[in-house]
Amino acid sequence: MAIEELVLETRDLGYSYAPGRFAVRHLSIGLRRGEVLGLLGRNGAGKTTTVRLLTTLLSPTEGSAIVLGQDVRTGGRALRSRLGVVLQSESLDFVTVERNLTLYAFLWGVPREVAKSRAEEMIELFELEGARRRKPWALSGGERRRFQVARELMHDMEILFLDEPTVGLDAIARRRILRYLKQRADGGLSIVFTTHILHEADTLCDRIAVLHLGRLIALDSAEALKAKHGGAREISLTFSAPLSAATHAELVEELARRGALPLPTEDASVPSGKVAFEARRAEELLPWISAWSQGRGLAIERMSVEAATLEGAFLGMIQGTAEDEEGEGDAGLSRPPSSSPESEGGAS
Amino acid sequence: MRLPPVFRLVVRNFASNLDPLTIIIRFGQPAITIVVLGTMFSSIIPSSVTGGSSYTDFLVPGMIAFQMITGGVVSGNLFWLDRRWAMVEQIFSGPFLRSEYLGGLVLTTLLFSLVGVGVMMLVGLPFIGLPSLSPLQTGTVLLTVGLGSIFFAGLLIALGTRLRSANAYFTIQSFLQLFVIFLSTVYYPVTSKTPRVLAAVFYANPLTYAANTIRHAFQASLGAGDLVALGILGALAAVAFGSAIWGFRTMDLGPIQ
Repeated sequence: MAIEELVLETRDLGYSYAPGRFAVRHLSIGLRRGEVLGLLGRNGAGKTTTVRLLTTLLSPTEGSAIVLGQDVRTGGRALRSRLGVVLQSESLDFVTVERNLTLYAFLWGVPREVAKSRAEEMIELFELEGARRRKPWALSGGERRRFQVARELMHDMEILFLDEPTVGLDAIARRRILRYLKQRADGGLSIVFTTHILHEADTLCDRIAVLHLGRLIALDSAEALKAKHGGAREISLTFSAPLSAATHAELVEELARRGALPLPTEDASVPSGKVAFEARRAEELLPWISAWSQGRGLAIERMSVEAATLEGAFLGMIQGTAEDEEGEGDAGLSRPPSSSPESEGGAS
Repeated sequence: MRLPPVFRLVVRNFASNLDPLTIIIRFGQPAITIVVLGTMFSSIIPSSVTGGSSYTDFLVPGMIAFQMITGGVVSGNLFWLDRRWAMVEQIFSGPFLRSEYLGGLVLTTLLFSLVGVGVMMLVGLPFIGLPSLSPLQTGTVLLTVGLGSIFFAGLLIALGTRLRSANAYFTIQSFLQLFVIFLSTVYYPVTSKTPRVLAAVFYANPLTYAANTIRHAFQASLGAGDLVALGILGALAAVAFGSAIWGFRTMDLGPIQ
């Protein structure tokens, strides 16, 4: 990234909704100009609270957050006028889609002519032509969501916060929106994006912050997260000849000893040359498999390793964190984080 | 030229939440009351009951006072719908202060009440003629309706900041409206024959003070009592609006069902 200017930086940011009960704690992240930062986490992980803290809708109870050079506690209107926010909840005015767009632009002080042409652009971009003269209650769920994103893009901003903007959208609409957001990011718009659709985060985000029970457990690029936390992946082997029952059993036993989980074959009673299993560190097993096969004079006709997915990495991180917490006997949020995130938030 | 935030919010309030049908019903109902109730009761209620004037003369100022309820309800409902449909949170995520949003609601209330006063005057014109009001009397009428509107708007907004159910909000609002309108001197005067308990309730109702003061302005008989009534109305408006501000500052902005 050419420009490394930080437009958002939090240090130990926290929010407690009751004494000792934190929705977010010890959150330290950064966002560069033109960067897309994904916030991932299970329901209740603290993603929406984080968005609300960073957009001044909530005031932090701990730590600090500087957005566009201003403290979120005191930035107020001056700060908010430089942000765009698509909230998770459906927010609507009771006028037609077209009027909603121009009315929202009017609220933001966008000149009438600019608002008019931008509304046309958004209606086309978000495929709302058929809904132009309909009122929000006559829209489908997907149309409402598309409308909500379109409406926010009616005004200028430096950071756009999108809290699950693609919920209920079909694949084509989703791709269209993601492509547009990527273009805007390339043009210098910084984006904070929360989603449960991990493939989206993988496609769109430059970096991903994973939250779990209000704490940051990872912050890195999707590729780095996949490499570090890739999780179990399927390895399929096809030997040139069927394995005998004894050889098959020996292979399965050896693989199990190395932490791999054998997967059931189509018909275990029929000798076959196919073996499939899941392993967390698939690459590490491959040399051993080759050596084992050569040692027994077996030729491998085909060997495939499932590509690492962000979903696998995400599951690995969440499960790993849960196991750590069980091991420590305290899963509460009221203690300091047990480990630091993979990389420091943005300051690097 | 960019309008100040409060005025942008007022324009949005009118544009987004006040559909023509609602406006017609809000103003149409009291207008029909003047025409039908005024005509029918004028012939059966002796003028001695209504202070020497016809029942329509008595009713028109009452219906003008009624506009403070109309204006208050408009703002209360506007706020409720904004909260229900997460527009409060959306607006606060933009370049607006809470005080500006509240200010926008107050201005919307006052504008709505003012239009209502004009409509009632127009509808009453064929029945009572053009009242010759001095600037002081006109000011008194507008101030009374304005303070009353802020009182009701404040009350309903305060309620809206606390309640999380649409059913509860609209039930309480309807009950409050009914109670306030029918236990006031909008439709009938308090006389020596009024049961004492009922009379006491009438005088605990701010709409009674408003209706009486406006009537005195129309009859050119404003006195010290009306000044006290305005003072009481002002104090109640301050308390109700203070509650709304407090509710606003402490409410959860998140969506409600």
